Amino acid sequence: MRRKATAIGAAFAALAVLCAMFATAASATPAWKFESKSLEGTEVVLGAAIDSSLTIPGLTTKCANFLYKVTIKNEAGTGKGEVTEVPLYNCTTDQPEVCTVGSIGAEKLPWPVKLTTVSTSNYIVIEGVKVAIKYAGIECALGGVTVNVTGTAGGIVDNATETATFNSTTFGATGTELRALATKILWTGVFPTEAFQWHREQPLSVS
Amino acid sequence: MHKHRRRAVCSALLIAALAALGLAGSAQAKLVGEFTKFTNCPYTNANAIKCIYSVTESGEVVLGSKKVPIEKPVTLQGAYANPVEEKEGAEFYPFLAATNGITLSKAPQNVPGGLLGIIPEASQPALVKALIKFFFENSLTGVNSTLELAKPATDIRVSENNLAGEIGTALYMPVKVHLENPFLGKNCYVGSSTTPITWNLTTGTTAPPAPNKPITGSGGEGELLESARILKLNNNKLVDNAWSAPKAAGCGGILSFLIDPIINTQLGTLTAGHNSAELKGTLYQASAFAVNKINKENP
Repeated sequence: MRRKATAIGAAFAALAVLCAMFATAASATPAWKFESKSLEGTEVVLGAAIDSSLTIPGLTTKCANFLYKVTIKNEAGTGKGEVTEVPLYNCTTDQPEVCTVGSIGAEKLPWPVKLTTVSTSNYIVIEGVKVAIKYAGIECALGGVTVNVTGTAGGIVDNATETATFNSTTFGATGTELRALATKILWTGVFPTEAFQWHREQPLSVS
Repeated sequence: MHKHRRRAVCSALLIAALAALGLAGSAQAKLVGEFTKFTNCPYTNANAIKCIYSVTESGEVVLGSKKVPIEKPVTLQGAYANPVEEKEGAEFYPFLAATNGITLSKAPQNVPGGLLGIIPEASQPALVKALIKFFFENSLTGVNSTLELAKPATDIRVSENNLAGEIGTALYMPVKVHLENPFLGKNCYVGSSTTPITWNLTTGTTAPPAPNKPITGSGGEGELLESARILKLNNNKLVDNAWSAPKAAGCGGILSFLIDPIINTQLGTLTAGHNSAELKGTLYQASAFAVNKINKENP
């Protein structure tokens, strides 16, 4: 009798562990929070990339001024939003004597944003990304060609540093990719997530 | 005295000859590395913007009821040049012929089934397939089809933005198909300079009339070589299945009035919606200025 009770107890314990595991996996609905409270209404995040580069195999493009404006909100407990502005200035390539950036601009804005959890980390996923880059340079193989960077970008959110970091690891974790010239390209960057409207100077976190 | 003078003249002539050889050597500039692909590009032409070297390695051309797989590489080379033309919202550049005269290489492709069009069923034994090939695709009964330019190279048009952007026409090319067999004579063609087959090749998606269905090409996977002076597009796929072709003509020499109808019966319907071209390969593109510079820098 006692043995039966122990067995039932063990079964319940196993069930509880399984439930806890599923609960962790299912917590793929992170929200925007300010001082540990879920954001109500909308907020605007403004910033400038600390370091960002975009690499088509054989040519890397960097912008000294990579600015962005993102409107964030929570919908049914899940963090969402949209990138509304991405002004890009002072862009150069790693082959400056051959290729220069004639023009660069974000297109088809706004780009939808959502938060998601993969394993135990929180990620920001930007969909519908489109950036048109027109390269110049009399020796440049892409001179006069408009290269369209399109796709979805996933970056990891770090609450401690209040940044979102995009690199090959975060793209892999979120199953996202950006393409240009029909090729998967590499976009790296660190983007501060600082509120600029109602929650100015309050730490923004995702959980 | 006489001997001395003769020796001096000989020496002078020898020096002059050596100097001439030396000068000839220094004038023989050359392309190096990946730039060697552009040897036949007219990069010294002031109007040339970009050099192109495109090799079609596989794919197929469907002409009515005949499907011809591309088994031998076909090379398109030359340059595209100013002045730019605006058409359908894109910039198109006219082409400049390759300096060796071979803008589009002639690579005879085997027409499966040969003259009689007898193709074995896929399910038939290997021996039967081999026998059919032996009897119907030999030097007497076999047919080769060779793609040729129907008009001067300057009639080709290129849109590099459409090529990279996978939209609209990337390469406009007037072509004709040369059908070759001992019985067909030397002038059996589908298409001519006056009635060319017009290919509007795209790396995007086609919109053909029925019964053909849309097919999609690809710009290919891009990579930049030689410090971004050369763009290489791997697995580039240019497609068009909305073109029409005129009937075959000139087949069988003086007996063409008899042979042409037979060949046209074999080819079937050649109106738009019944033909297709899928060209898969690798495309290289470089700034003509950069190619010229590399050439001058490497004596």
